[in-house]
Amino acid sequence: MVIVGGGTAGWMSAAALVGIAKPGLCEVRLIESDEIGTVGVGEATLPQMRAFNDAVGIIEADMMRRTNATFKLGIEFVGWGFEGSSYLHPFGAYGTSLGGVEFHHQWLRAAQHGRAGGIEDYSFAVAAARRNRFDFPDEDPAILASTFDYAYHFDAALYAQYLRAFCERRGVQRIEGRIVDVALDPQRGDVASLRLASGEEVGGDFFIDCSGFRALLIGEALGSGWEDWSKWLPCDRALAVPSARLDEIPPYTRATAREAGWQWRIPLQHRTGNGHIFASAFTGEDRAADVLMQNLGGEALGEPRLIRFAAGRRTASWTRNCLAVGLASGFLEPLESTSIYLVQSAIMAFLRLLPGRDVDPALAAEFNRVMDVEYERIRDFLILHYHANRRSDGELWRHCREMDVPDSLQAKIAAFGHRGHVQHYKDGLFSPPSWLSVFLGQGLRPRHYHPMADNLPLDALFSELDGLRGRIASETAALPRHETTIEDYCFAVPTSGEL
Amino acid sequence: MTRRIEKVVIVGRDAAAWLVALGLQRAVGQTGVKVQVVELPSLLQPVDFYPALPSLAGLHALLGVPEAAMLKACRGVPTLGQRFVGWGGEGSSFVHAYDIQRPAIEQIDFLQYWVKARGQGLKIALEDFSLAAAAAKQGRLSDTPAGPDTLAGFQPGYHLDALRYVRFLRGGALAAGVEHRPATLDAIRREGDRITAIVLHDGTEIGADLFVDATGAEAALIGQMPGAEVTSWGEWLGCDRILAASAPVLRPLPAFGQVTALRNGWVGLYPLQDRTALIASYAADGTSDQDVLAEAAAAARVPVSGDVVVSSFEPGIRARPWVGNCVAVGAAAVGLEPLDAVQLQIVQIGLSNLVALWPVEADTMPEAPLYGAAMASHAANLRDFQIAHYRLNRRAGQPFWDRARDAGGPASLQAKLSLFGSCGQVPLYDDESFLAQNWSAVFVGHGLIPKSYNPAVDAVPPQEQMESFQKLLHVIAEEVRAMPTVETWLARRTG
Repeated sequence: MVIVGGGTAGWMSAAALVGIAKPGLCEVRLIESDEIGTVGVGEATLPQMRAFNDAVGIIEADMMRRTNATFKLGIEFVGWGFEGSSYLHPFGAYGTSLGGVEFHHQWLRAAQHGRAGGIEDYSFAVAAARRNRFDFPDEDPAILASTFDYAYHFDAALYAQYLRAFCERRGVQRIEGRIVDVALDPQRGDVASLRLASGEEVGGDFFIDCSGFRALLIGEALGSGWEDWSKWLPCDRALAVPSARLDEIPPYTRATAREAGWQWRIPLQHRTGNGHIFASAFTGEDRAADVLMQNLGGEALGEPRLIRFAAGRRTASWTRNCLAVGLASGFLEPLESTSIYLVQSAIMAFLRLLPGRDVDPALAAEFNRVMDVEYERIRDFLILHYHANRRSDGELWRHCREMDVPDSLQAKIAAFGHRGHVQHYKDGLFSPPSWLSVFLGQGLRPRHYHPMADNLPLDALFSELDGLRGRIASETAALPRHETTIEDYCFAVPTSGEL
Repeated sequence: MTRRIEKVVIVGRDAAAWLVALGLQRAVGQTGVKVQVVELPSLLQPVDFYPALPSLAGLHALLGVPEAAMLKACRGVPTLGQRFVGWGGEGSSFVHAYDIQRPAIEQIDFLQYWVKARGQGLKIALEDFSLAAAAAKQGRLSDTPAGPDTLAGFQPGYHLDALRYVRFLRGGALAAGVEHRPATLDAIRREGDRITAIVLHDGTEIGADLFVDATGAEAALIGQMPGAEVTSWGEWLGCDRILAASAPVLRPLPAFGQVTALRNGWVGLYPLQDRTALIASYAADGTSDQDVLAEAAAAARVPVSGDVVVSSFEPGIRARPWVGNCVAVGAAAVGLEPLDAVQLQIVQIGLSNLVALWPVEADTMPEAPLYGAAMASHAANLRDFQIAHYRLNRRAGQPFWDRARDAGGPASLQAKLSLFGSCGQVPLYDDESFLAQNWSAVFVGHGLIPKSYNPAVDAVPPQEQMESFQKLLHVIAEEVRAMPTVETWLARRTG
């Protein structure tokens, strides 16, 4: 098994192969070049990451300590629905089903009587995040403090280094070098071997392409097509810059809408990651850099670095004996922190379908089906953030508001707007609470709630809501500060010479 | 101000009408919605019965149907699966059992180890590692809920006498407050794609905000609606005629149904407390009902007595099962043969989607396409499960079966067959009624054995793997031995 490219995707793939699969299953080699930088924008993650780390055998506190990690309860969206708005998309539920219907129907019903309060008042994760507090979720599902999940903010470059050490201890062979040629098997068309600048030939039975946007094997050598989604997701540039750490570290990512894009803020223990994602069709790079530098929460620690990209995905990210993982397989902007999740999802799907020496096309077909579902559902979710806006500044926002969106998304918006209906599905990211959060946060209000909500008497409903709101407020107020939990659990001792 | 639904009329008969009536009464009956059943004459005969998947118990719990009383009233018998006989050629058989959790070794599905061991000469069938299959074959079933030290965490399905089940449901629905009017239908009054009223034989007109078509294959309402034509699945499912009859009770009571291949279809034998129900499903073209009856009785090795009832059906789905203010449930929406106990499952899927999408406005119902999409998705998965039996048959030289094997199938099923044949994984889609365990039991039972297994299996030493197999067989034998017989199980519940 040959992995092309280090970075997060490459080392996560290697770690899964040696950590989850059994020893001796296959020899794993990874080729990377110190000359080639990694993109490394994926510094905010999703809760699924925890399961990945557990499966691979990574010890959470140790990993967090070495990657300057902090805890993450969700993402705050500032100014997205309209200027001045703010909502938090939490990793957790809003309330629980009441009277046989999902919670939000009862919330909508109470709102008609002016007795609901904000939906965020019913999320343990949001309440804790807004108070800058964090403790681990309770395991007893009957307890309120079990109704959320968490992820990490970390330094992706350090995470890749951490995984590299983990992998090398387990026998992964790292080959330093730049690939100059990809040889295909003349009969079968499979990837046969790679030639490095040093002249060395590296052969293998199966290749994992983690070469990033370049897509050295899957794109350049095998010609797997690219489906462009930039008509729906027009942002195509990012400027990234670190800044000094915040005085108080929040347990959430912040995404602030700007005139022609949006800005991220990812708080780490030792610094803050910042970036401005923008659409070059709607603003210039200089202007974008000004917007970024004027809106840093602390002193800039360097010059902004430009990254170019386009939204879209490989039509077949498993082709022949080559699997593309990470940016080689597709790109969706990090608005919902999905980059590392998509790496994980690809690796886990691959392990489920692990081929023998001969690769049956049925395996690739199933992998590509599953990844299609993943990418398309995330794509729709991202488009929703742009499409449902009432901002008055900037052409980007008018364009996104007026553009035609995919039918799959249009149907979801219509069903929610009519009756608060949120579809459940088996595969793919974003469960109903996530859709609910963004629908409501972006300013959509269902015209009706589910009629079955009326089975619960109004006074019983009001007292349930008041009680829940009060319990969430008092229980989250009693949690330890986020920084206290970090200091207790995974404090990264600052080393000299480190930013 | 929009107007809420004030009245729903369910036009129909039999289990579909009464399950939906009771379900809607429980869901919205207390919110000011009047639920009325206009009951058309039953199409059921005393010989008829309903096979039910384990999911029916969950629905009964939601609807407040008391299980013990229901089983007693309906002469019901629990079932742990179905035994398929002769589908792989004369003398072949396997059990599709209803357990849902196959054990894993080192987090990898047991099936993968079995595939490897089989390749190395293991002669033990996959079903021998299924607790439900082992219990079924011995006429026993679990009396205790699942626990950490037991495999026995599965819910049985049921075989129910149809007329008695309908009577029982009707009683429950009426007690819950459903209005009831026995009638025959004369006409439907329509404005555009909305029904304004139905006209009964005595001239009475009945209006409602929403009409539910639970008339079965007759599709008395939805069949009149624009754009609701049937998309046929006949190219993949060749049977179009059903015959029902009765045979004497079996002693001891088996804990499974038995489905035996015939020249032009199949015959199923399903134990009830006081008789055995017999159903044959076949292609009418090229055979007569009399021939089928004779062949079925011989194949099932039972004497058939009393009435024999035949009916025709067409496999397929309505392009739009909800048009205007008319929603079709059960066989009015989706026609499938009675294989794999799908009929009540289709009713249940329709009811649960109708409740989830209960219209919020009486005058416009944009829920219709959502309901249509959900029904199509669920039904396609059930259809594929049925087609798989035919597609994988190994009865050589019989035109009906040769055609079924060669008919191919929808792409969704082809993908399942290809992937499973390659590596033993089952791609599961949204809205599956059957889980990977069910699909793989049926695939392997019909002789589709994965070509390769997950290479990670090789990490477990052969000795350790063999010990795991032996331990599993031992645990299954122990647990089955401790289970009561079907008769004892029933006696403990029904007194």
